[in-house]
Parts: sequence; structure tokens; C-alpha cells
Amino acid sequence: MRQKKIYPYLLIAPALLFITAVTLYPTIFSVYLSLNRSRRGVLEFVGLRNFEIIFNSGDFWESFRLTLIYGFLFVGLVMVFAFLLALIFNRGLLFGGVYMSIIFIPWMLSEIVSSVMFRWMFLPEIGIAQRLLGPIFGDITFLGNDAGAMGVVIGATIWRSVAFAMLLLLAGLQTIPGELTEAASIDGANRWQAFWKVTWPLVLPTTQVTIVFLTIQAINAAGMFLSITNGGPGRATEVLSLYMYREAIVFFNFGYGAALAVILFLLNAVLAIVYIRSLRSQVTYA
Amino acid sequence: MSAISREGAPPARSPKLLSWQRLEPILLHTVLIILCLIVLFPIVYTLLASLRPQGFGLSREIIPADGFYFGHYERLLSTPRFMRNVLNSAINSLGGALLTTSIAAAAGYAFARLEFRGRQVILTFILAMMLLPGLTNLIPLFKLASDLGILDTYLIMILVYGTYGIPFGIWIMKGFYETIPKQMEEAAAVDGATPIQALLYVVIPMSLPGLISVFMINFVYNWNDFLTALILLSSSSMKTATVGLFDFQNQLTGNNNELLNAAAILIMIPGIILFLIARRSFLQGMVEGAVKG
Repeated sequence: MRQKKIYPYLLIAPALLFITAVTLYPTIFSVYLSLNRSRRGVLEFVGLRNFEIIFNSGDFWESFRLTLIYGFLFVGLVMVFAFLLALIFNRGLLFGGVYMSIIFIPWMLSEIVSSVMFRWMFLPEIGIAQRLLGPIFGDITFLGNDAGAMGVVIGATIWRSVAFAMLLLLAGLQTIPGELTEAASIDGANRWQAFWKVTWPLVLPTTQVTIVFLTIQAINAAGMFLSITNGGPGRATEVLSLYMYREAIVFFNFGYGAALAVILFLLNAVLAIVYIRSLRSQVTYA
Repeated sequence: MSAISREGAPPARSPKLLSWQRLEPILLHTVLIILCLIVLFPIVYTLLASLRPQGFGLSREIIPADGFYFGHYERLLSTPRFMRNVLNSAINSLGGALLTTSIAAAAGYAFARLEFRGRQVILTFILAMMLLPGLTNLIPLFKLASDLGILDTYLIMILVYGTYGIPFGIWIMKGFYETIPKQMEEAAAVDGATPIQALLYVVIPMSLPGLISVFMINFVYNWNDFLTALILLSSSSMKTATVGLFDFQNQLTGNNNELLNAAAILIMIPGIILFLIARRSFLQGMVEGAVKG
């Protein structure tokens, strides 16, 4: 009997051990690091100094602003495309699986592989996207232009993420029983009305979940920015996550970088709470 | 913005046409085919460029007139440094995926079948860990690994990859175990098997499809990882293929784009192949990992 009580804990012990050592402990350690300054590799306790410097730093607020711009455009555009796609896939077309596999391929690529592809397409003077789209946007060289470089990263990240967002929304749409929309059409609603009165309210919780998911992705998009623009031109695409990476890993300002990580972590934690709440509020109608 | 933004218009128009019963599928197929072409375009454009002699890019031609050139691929496959990077990727990805799968197989079973105190709390804690991305963790992890002297080793990469996949793996395995009838274990118990024997010899073999999909999804995730490896690895003999590609991209001199593109295509292949082999479990796994927790 006693053995039976221990058994479940034995099974979950390795998982908890690894998560604690590799995820939880470093997270707590980063709070400690954020209260220190590192000088020639030696830590020196400075209290909240790092946060004070951060909140008074023009670079931080500029990166914050860029993160907001990127986040809104990325999440907004992905949601629009993903929703339209989910509605199309929800019609259960022939070969739907083939189409879906194809639009999922970018999600299966490494960030750096995607970056090589997009940098090649936008290579100044040579890249095909540069030559075709450049004239439309006032003859700019995309990767050498502040807004253009941001645009390339937004385009590349949409390209990678739209299928995943679509899949989440589609899963939400598929939990809505067909009878509900049928009932609405029997009651004389046209498809447009049926969508807004029946489908939309039912798929709203899934939409929330997807938005939170994408927002977390947007805040942490350091990899794509690092590999496509490296923050440039100048600091025009130096979003918060990249700023953190550069301060800590390139300039070895562990304390300062850790303080930035704590700020990013808090943003993520708030979103994670919202996420778990919207998961709980999700109702099944089947 | 990229080509992607152009495909927004056609689907938006579809609601108006929805009453045209016969036209609708044709219209939707057209939209999807155009979309697929746009999605594949960057990959195909890069692939074509990798099949041309060096410096060809400057001529602005997309498809070479005198046939394909495979020299860049031959050169990469016979470059010891590139192959070493690929080997490192394989070791780290495989080690991480094996670690994740075995840990998730055990824990997922406890959450699916057994009652114990704190079950719900621990489960929520693990879900929360899944949402905390590795990024903010990397700085303390770098510092800790450096203090422990395990930076730039297979050990740290396998530990980190193996752990990052655990929460997701537990969700998938928990869901999978719940589809297996309980009678199987009960029958094993009647035959005198201990709970651990029942798990090892009855439940695990029946859960092989779930285990394989957790393994494959994690393998591809690890293989594609770039930022974690960039931060935790420093010597050229330990770097993974993605980090090697990043270095190559940044050190690119002159018109070496064709070789860079060929390297990107080679590194892309394992992930795509595994995805196409196990498309269904990948898609299912991702939905379950994200929404059905």
C-alpha cells in the first residue's frame, strides 16, 4: 500500500527534477543576477540599480516601442490571414490535407534557414523580392531602410507562423457542431449573419488563446531579428528580446541583461496567466 | 512587407460568392493553390540559387540556362567542418529527444492514470513552464553553465533540449494514454504484474505511436533550434549546423550566396522529411500541446 502511494511521485520525479534544474532555478537565479552588476566576471550586489538604469535609458524605451510596433503588426496580420485560412479549411475541401502540409512547411524550418531565404530574396539589387517590391515601396532598399527591414522581419515571421495560428483556430472552429449554423440558416440567417451571430462568439475563446500565443512569440522573437537584420540598420529593429541578448551575451553585462530578462519574463508571465484563464473559459459545445 | 501580404485579398472576397454553390470550391482551390505557391516561393527561389555556379546570382537570372550545378552540395558534403556541425546537431537533437520522450512517457502516465495529492497543481505548474519561452532563461543558464564548466558541451545541450520538450511531451503522452482502455493494465495486474511491469510491458508498447510522435516533434524542434545553441556553444568543433549557418551568413564575403543557400537547403531537409512522414501526428500534437491542455 505504501509503495502504491510513492509510485506516482516516482514517475513524475524525473520531469520535476529536470524542469526545476533547467527552467525554474535559472529563472529564479536571473532575479538574483538582475540585482547585481558584473565586473570582470565578479558579481557585485547593486539592488535595483539595473532597473533604474533601464527605465531611464533611451535605448530601452526605443526597443520597447519597436517591440510594440512589431507585436501589433505581427499578431494583427497573422490573425487576419489565419482566420480567413481557417474558415476556408473548415469547409472541408478535397486535398485540404495537402494544402495544409504545404503551408506548414515554413514552421518546420529553422529561424536561421528562414533568414537565409529572406535575406537572399531581399538581397540589395539582386534579390527577386527586392527587385519586384522595391519600386512599389518608393524604390527603397528593404534591408537598408528602417521601416523596410522591420517589414522584412514581419513578413518572414508571418510566413512562419500563419499556419500554426490557423491550425489553432481551425481546431476551435471544428468544435462548433454543424447543427448550430444549420439551425441559424433554417431560422433565415444568411451565411454572413450566421458567422457573426453563431460562429464568431463560439470561436472567440480560441481566438483569445491564439492571440496570447502569438503575442508570447512576438515578445521573444529575438532569433528572427538577430538572424535577418541583427537589429539594424542602426538600431531600427533592435526589439527588446534582441537588446537583452546583446547586453548579456555580447557585452557580458549579465546583471543588466538579467534585469531585462526579468522584465520580459514578467510580460510573459502576465500573458501566460491570461492564456491559462482563456483556456479554462473555453467551453465545448459538442 | 513580404509577398505574404498579397494573398489577403482573395479570401476576403469569398463570402460574397458563397451563394454560388458550384463556383465556391473552384474559387477556394484557386486561392489555396496561389497561397501554396507564395508560401513555397522563398524555398524554391533559394533551392534554384543553390543549383547555380558561384557568382551567378549577380546575373539576376532565376533559372540557369545551362542546367543545374551540384558543386556546392558536393563541396559542403566534403567539408569536414560542415559535416562536424551536422553531426553535432544530430547528437544534441537525438539525445534531447530521447531524454524528453522517456521522461514524458513516465510522467504522462502518472497524470493520465493515477490519483495522487497535488496532481492538479503540478499539472498546472508544468503547463505554465511550457509557456515560459527559453529566451529569458538563456542568460542565467549561460552563467550557470559557465560556472559549472559545462558550457560548450553535448551535456548542456542535451540537458536543455531534453528539458524544454518535457511539458509538451507530458501533455501529448497524457492524452495518448487516456485513449488506451484501462482493462489492459487491469488484466496485467490480474496476471500478477506489478504496476511498473504493466507500464513497461503493456502500456508503453501500446503507446508507441504517441512516443514516436513526441520523439519526432522534439527532434525537429531541437534540430532547428538556433538561439539556444548560439548562446551555449562557442567552439567550432561543438557548434551545431544552425549556428554554423549563422556564422557563415555573417562572414559571407563577396558573392558566395549560392554556397550559403545550398547549406540552408541541406539543413532544412531532415525537418521537412520527418514532418512529411508524420504530418498527421505533428499537426495533432501541436493542437493538443497548445489548446487542449
